[in-house]
Amino acid sequence: MDEKHSQLWQKLSAALKPQVSPDTFKRWFSAVKLVQATDETFTFRVPNNIYQFWIESNHMAALQAAIVTAFGSPRHVKFATALDGAMKKEEEELPEISTKELGRESGRDGKQSGGAPGLNPRNNFESFVVGPNNEIAHAASLAVAKTPARTYNPLFIYGGVGLGKTHLMQAIGQYVGINKKGAKVMYLSSEVFINEFIDAIQHNNLVKFRKRYRQADLLLIDDIQFLGGKERSQEEFFHTFNTLFDGHKQIVLSSDRPPSEIANLEHRLVSRFEWGLTAELQPPDVETRMAILRKKAHTLQIKLRDEVFEFLANRIRTNVRRLEGALMRVASFASLSGKELTNDVVEHLLKDILQEEARHAVTIEQIQRRVAEHFDVRLADMTSKRRPANIAFPRQIAMYLARELTKASLNEIGDAFGGRDHGTVLHACKLVKRRMLEQDNIRQTISFIDSALQR
Amino acid sequence: MKFSATKEKLLEGLQQVQNVVSTRTTLPILSNVLLQAKGGEVLLTTTDLDVGVRGAFEANVEKEGATTLPARRLFTIIRELPSSEVSIEVDAKNAASIRSGQSYFKILGLPEEEFPPLPKFDSAKVVTIRQKDLRDGLRKTSYAISTDETRYVLNGLLFSLKENKLTLVATDGRRLAMVDIELEFPRSHEADIIVPTEAVTELSRLLTDDGEVKVSVGSGQIAFELNNTLLVSKLIEGNYPNYKQVIPSETKERVTLERETFLNSLRRVSLLASDKSNSIKLNFTKNNIDITANTPEVGEAKESLAVAYKGRDFSIAFNPEFFMAPLRALTEDEVFLDLIDEMSPGVLKIQTPFLYVLMPMRISS
Repeated sequence: MDEKHSQLWQKLSAALKPQVSPDTFKRWFSAVKLVQATDETFTFRVPNNIYQFWIESNHMAALQAAIVTAFGSPRHVKFATALDGAMKKEEEELPEISTKELGRESGRDGKQSGGAPGLNPRNNFESFVVGPNNEIAHAASLAVAKTPARTYNPLFIYGGVGLGKTHLMQAIGQYVGINKKGAKVMYLSSEVFINEFIDAIQHNNLVKFRKRYRQADLLLIDDIQFLGGKERSQEEFFHTFNTLFDGHKQIVLSSDRPPSEIANLEHRLVSRFEWGLTAELQPPDVETRMAILRKKAHTLQIKLRDEVFEFLANRIRTNVRRLEGALMRVASFASLSGKELTNDVVEHLLKDILQEEARHAVTIEQIQRRVAEHFDVRLADMTSKRRPANIAFPRQIAMYLARELTKASLNEIGDAFGGRDHGTVLHACKLVKRRMLEQDNIRQTISFIDSALQR
Repeated sequence: MKFSATKEKLLEGLQQVQNVVSTRTTLPILSNVLLQAKGGEVLLTTTDLDVGVRGAFEANVEKEGATTLPARRLFTIIRELPSSEVSIEVDAKNAASIRSGQSYFKILGLPEEEFPPLPKFDSAKVVTIRQKDLRDGLRKTSYAISTDETRYVLNGLLFSLKENKLTLVATDGRRLAMVDIELEFPRSHEADIIVPTEAVTELSRLLTDDGEVKVSVGSGQIAFELNNTLLVSKLIEGNYPNYKQVIPSETKERVTLERETFLNSLRRVSLLASDKSNSIKLNFTKNNIDITANTPEVGEAKESLAVAYKGRDFSIAFNPEFFMAPLRALTEDEVFLDLIDEMSPGVLKIQTPFLYVLMPMRISS
């Protein structure tokens, strides 16, 4: 407890003492520490959960009254038990245990082991880098792993490619497999589920199939979006889901988009998926990317200069998997060639990745500006209603580039070009494509603008 | 499979197991009872995947075999049968024909293979307890188990095996009940386990006053064997809170109460405790307790009780329901109430190792 908190606590204790009996104070509050204080919340550390239970049940009114007396307004009161701290320690020791345990367990009876098959021991909570982009998903996953089916059920994790969905799911699976002996953990992708279902129909052993899934204590299904459009699989999954949910078994799902946006997914499934907690994984910010790179470099025992880390973190933004791939490539080049790594060398090395990255960064406005510049027309002409050939054609090229280089829809592109409708944009794209085939100079011009945009 | 038995034996057997039948409709097999006819008896098994019970009854087995039948339906049919002799025959498609006197029933079952097996105990620690002791212990503690699902470690009864003692503890954060049972067991069997409420309820039903119960503790599960019946349950995972912290180390005043008289007084006075505050007040004066309750705009109640009390005058308020629960569960004529002051917990004791800690309510005055 630092100075500030201990002063606050003294003030609070003074107000609390008259509210409770001396014995109560000595017994329950003398071991309490104030560890966090904001204008809304006070967090108290207590030696173990009996303190929390007993204070919450019996002395909350007194505590709140004391807070009002001492600080003038009520606070939200939270408790942290020292036990939580102990749990954290356990967690930190996990990686070594995990590999050992998994090895032994699978040696004994391959399928029923604590860690379900298909779990990569490297994907644990320890190796997951937490940043503002993923802290909710991480916290929820950790809560689920510690107390399956008690907190968030189902837990639905979604986010783009390579942001850690699978990592989190596998971490949950391993944590539960190791800390809850005998718990049946099942980890699979929805594709495996569908295939096994088809197989079961084919060989007429649906009963066995159902039994297998409905007896899981923890069911982790990756890439659930592939269930979209598979009606019978959805129905089967619906029943599996209900059985597990009613039986207080934990379900964790991941997808590349939120439940409501999965195409051709039945409403009853969508609503069930949204029942528990839906947590999004966003692309990491630059600091988190740096942290990921350093952590990865540390585990792989790679030594690189800070500039290289910075360069990679700044240039590769969207995808953690790609970030790690780039790191590997740079590191292996460094160790094989023994050359000094300058930014130019790295840039050359990662040409293709960087180009791919840059594609996402191009905006319609940049395209319009670039094209207008190239054809020497005014930027305003890009959005104006005027359509002499010397303006209309550059505008069509810009639309074509917008279609190729951004993820914007035809409508969005139309809007960006002065409220034109999607038909106009489609026509422009077709026209430009045709003329590119017919005229070399047009193709060259466009590829020049294209590469200029992507630099 | 074919067997015949008396209606009484069949009913008795079904009664032992039918409470565990799952009400979940998603796994139909769990609402069935597994029947296995072998030798001179029929084994009955039910489970809801958390708790499982296996019992048996004597029968004249003509053809051995096994099947599963809807438990509730089977029970209601057997109960209504006109004659005391019942014969049941099951065909290959698990359809059971039940004959008794002039009655004939046919009910459809599910194959035995679908029934989830009860867990096996290989390297379990085993202790044996007198049924009477355990039954007594459960009765004195189980009412204090928490029903608040957010504190799931409290949703069960703690069985603490330590220093040749089995300590049973239940608490919901406002009260705590605890019983010690003397027991001989090796040091290696010392353990703290939490048995879920369902299993405790089921066990209380099965325990009788005679004989012993064999308790096997495996990893994550527990089994009780008694009177030819087997009860298996999952354990609640987690650490039970350090309950000793709750028990006051020294108390100031002690008053001896006649259990039944006091309970009856409490019950009468509590009729006028309001739902909202739900408290009754005990006013201690020399050799007297006034029990009072009042609800604004409704009325009030008061009852005086002559007791041997020499301490200082003071008042303390309790939740009447929490006070009456242990008094109902106990059988002793006299109970001791130990108090410190109006803001500290009261402790209820008897001659044998039992303890009930009850938090007072705040008196708003």
